[in-house]
Amino acid sequence: MLWYIFKRLLASIGTLLVVLAITFFLMNAVPGSPFLTEKSTPEQIALANAKYGLDKPLIVQFKNYLVTYAKGDLGVSLKMQEGTPVTDILFHQGKFQLSIRLGLIALCVAIVIGIPLGCVAAYNRGTWIDGFLRVLTTIGVAIPTFVLATLLLVTFAVNHNFLPTISGSLDSFKAYVMPIISLSFYYTCYLAKLTRTSMLDAINQDYIRTAKAKGVKTRSIVIKHALRNSLIPVITYIGPVIAGIITGSFVVESTFSIPGLGKYFVQSVLCRDYTVIMATTFILSALVIFMNLVVDIAYKIVDPRITLSSRED
Amino acid sequence: MKKKLVSLLLVVVMVLSLVACGKDADTSSNSGKTNNNGGNTGKTTDDNGKFVLNVCIASEPETIDPSLISSVDASTYTQHQFEGLMKYAPTTEYADESGQMFGSEVICGQAKSYDVSEDMCEYVFHLRDDIYWSDGVEVTAKDFVYSWRRIVDPATASDYGYILDNIVLNAAAIQAGEKSKEELGIEAIDDKTLKITLEAPCAYFISLCGFASLMPLREDVVEGNENWTDPSSIVVNGPYIIKEWVHDSYILMEKNEKYYDLEKLGPDQIKWGLSDSETAIISAYQSGEYDFIESFPSDMIEDLKASGDCFTDPYIGTYYLYLNCKEIPDWRVRAAMAISVDRENIVNNVTQGGQVPATGVVAQGILDSTGKDFSEGVSELGALYATLQKNYPQYDLSTYAGRCDLAKALYKEAVDDGSWDPNTTVVYNFNTSEAHKAVAEACGSDWQTVLGLNITLQNQEWNTYTNGLGEHKFGVARLGWIADYNDALTYLELFMTGNSYNYGLYSDSKYDSLCAQAKASAAGSDRDALLYAAEEAMFGEGGFPVCPIYYYTRSYCIADGINNVFQTSLGYYFFMFAKLGN
Repeated sequence: MLWYIFKRLLASIGTLLVVLAITFFLMNAVPGSPFLTEKSTPEQIALANAKYGLDKPLIVQFKNYLVTYAKGDLGVSLKMQEGTPVTDILFHQGKFQLSIRLGLIALCVAIVIGIPLGCVAAYNRGTWIDGFLRVLTTIGVAIPTFVLATLLLVTFAVNHNFLPTISGSLDSFKAYVMPIISLSFYYTCYLAKLTRTSMLDAINQDYIRTAKAKGVKTRSIVIKHALRNSLIPVITYIGPVIAGIITGSFVVESTFSIPGLGKYFVQSVLCRDYTVIMATTFILSALVIFMNLVVDIAYKIVDPRITLSSRED
Repeated sequence: MKKKLVSLLLVVVMVLSLVACGKDADTSSNSGKTNNNGGNTGKTTDDNGKFVLNVCIASEPETIDPSLISSVDASTYTQHQFEGLMKYAPTTEYADESGQMFGSEVICGQAKSYDVSEDMCEYVFHLRDDIYWSDGVEVTAKDFVYSWRRIVDPATASDYGYILDNIVLNAAAIQAGEKSKEELGIEAIDDKTLKITLEAPCAYFISLCGFASLMPLREDVVEGNENWTDPSSIVVNGPYIIKEWVHDSYILMEKNEKYYDLEKLGPDQIKWGLSDSETAIISAYQSGEYDFIESFPSDMIEDLKASGDCFTDPYIGTYYLYLNCKEIPDWRVRAAMAISVDRENIVNNVTQGGQVPATGVVAQGILDSTGKDFSEGVSELGALYATLQKNYPQYDLSTYAGRCDLAKALYKEAVDDGSWDPNTTVVYNFNTSEAHKAVAEACGSDWQTVLGLNITLQNQEWNTYTNGLGEHKFGVARLGWIADYNDALTYLELFMTGNSYNYGLYSDSKYDSLCAQAKASAAGSDRDALLYAAEEAMFGEGGFPVCPIYYYTRSYCIADGINNVFQTSLGYYFFMFAKLGN
């Protein structure tokens, strides 16, 4: 297992380099400049380019990125908070932590509610409970996040004043409620659908029939035998979702005025804030790679028959 | 297996703990815990009975360093923290129908008086004796010398580095790297006397001295500290000082105890919400979390006006379309396009924000030397139609029908003599926005209906769009220009040959000459005549590089009970003297 993890970490460095190179050359291929405004002149843009080293050849700029990254320096923002170190923006200002916090809680909510709902639906297949949950989860998957977020905002904050319209840095329980519901609703419903489908597959397997023939209680069959095997596709889904739920919280962060990473990531692309684009891509790529590794390890834990590397054979 | 599950659980707990640690670091770095309800303090008072004004005018500013700012919102924050030689002060006249918002005028700020030489090229400012920085150090003339040199220094790469070009001696040459910043025409005679030398008389120089980028700065505070605008480092000389800045969330300002007019200041704190979501902003206003906002969905304006929340006031800006003189080389086609747009329809049915149909490129609110609105100066019809009306008296250009008739005739002339191919498709570029798209569709429809002109609308995201403007890759392209100072030249010089903003590549020696003469003239009727003549030339034979659509207005919502806010039509709102009570 350790050897496998070591090999995966080594490969991750190569993957990260490729991601950085693609991001760098793609963002420079798109027209525009971080210094373009309605009132900026070519002379001013040239001065600003010189100030931040953007007048150098692309390959030199890329090399400079790699050198500074190796030193743990992510550079300074060119546009959104001009001159401020990107590490300060992402970590000291708390954007990364805020998005991670929001994303992980939403994911936990989705897992804690979605998987049991899927089990309940499968357990009660063909009954009104199954029908109700199928309709509910289909609606949940179909409703766009911005519609749900706006609906919650108008209902609970504007019309009834139960909850704050500005969630800000999420420093109170009330501030969490609407963003978490908005962000987790889709994933909860999707996980419920996924769990139901794989659970139904598992229930039809021979070993379940054997367990039933042995007289094992249905509840035990579902929880101890069927659920465990039906979790493999669910785990496969959860891994990449973690990065998606962090960057994908743009709508939720905008609607509830949360100063997180998702909103910043999208804005950095629109503003051509090259250093912020590179840094956020780097961090999110690292996160995706790490989560994929965690998922692979989780496979092994859930199903010991799965082998992670040839050495384990 | 159980061991492994427990291990996995521990990993999850560790990750969550790290996240929680991160959160603590965040709040400590911002010198205090975030106000957990986002400022929802009812109406303007906190738990200690302090007057806290909650305002949202924009999202996170790129910077609040006066030398580097370029946006109206950043300028507003600057105007609350710094004070220049001159400053904006409220007049006694209401700016609009709300009864809560006053107009403004430029008066002496850090300067108590100034002398002007006979040739209007030398200004000597005498600073007040009671002006101090927030750390107690006296404000001196050297602080102005430092900040003015800093803004023209090429190394600063300021967006407003050009603001003193051709005004203060050597500014343009310093920006071009031909002279050193020490050669700028500004000199500290002594601690309280500042001499500024101009290249030529400048009619708007005094009002320019209140411009946000020209605030004084302390060299010992700024130099060597890239983060000098952080709440922990900043030193200011204006009425308020930033105490807390939760990025992308809010900026909290408190009264500057060293400000000479401290007694007159209103709110104990001003909390500037930072948001770009119109839905979030209007929701926060409606739930009482914001007292003042100026951004909300445009389709709500009518309802908000009906409920007595929303008001409209003037804003010196023009929304116009560049007509590319290379892509549309025949002036008659450009003129036909410019006059066949139904502007009344656009402002009444498309934008619906109280905008005024434009009759020239110089925005409404720009005044000539007699105080008359420049947009009304050329003729009753406005500069856009004045020359055409003289040359084609058989058409009544005061009506849309008459303008369409002339447009058809001019277009037909161009087609008949072979200088315009009627099968040409003109590309109309606009940056991503439902509002710009709606205007583009309205104009395209008018041109198609009246002239039979083929138009392709092309939507581009902002950065790609502005890049295309600079490369002149368009037939028609939109832009809005907000005045930097109250003078017609702020618009007219944009269209001079070689100007960076002359995206439509208009070039006319007569026009260039008129603008250049006006630039070098002192305020007065002769200069006014030159400026009026320039705008007439722009909309005469060989001209029409631009199709003005409407003059801007601004809409805002202000909560009941907030009074004595004031504004300038250049786009700044001032809250330092705001009061509670009706």
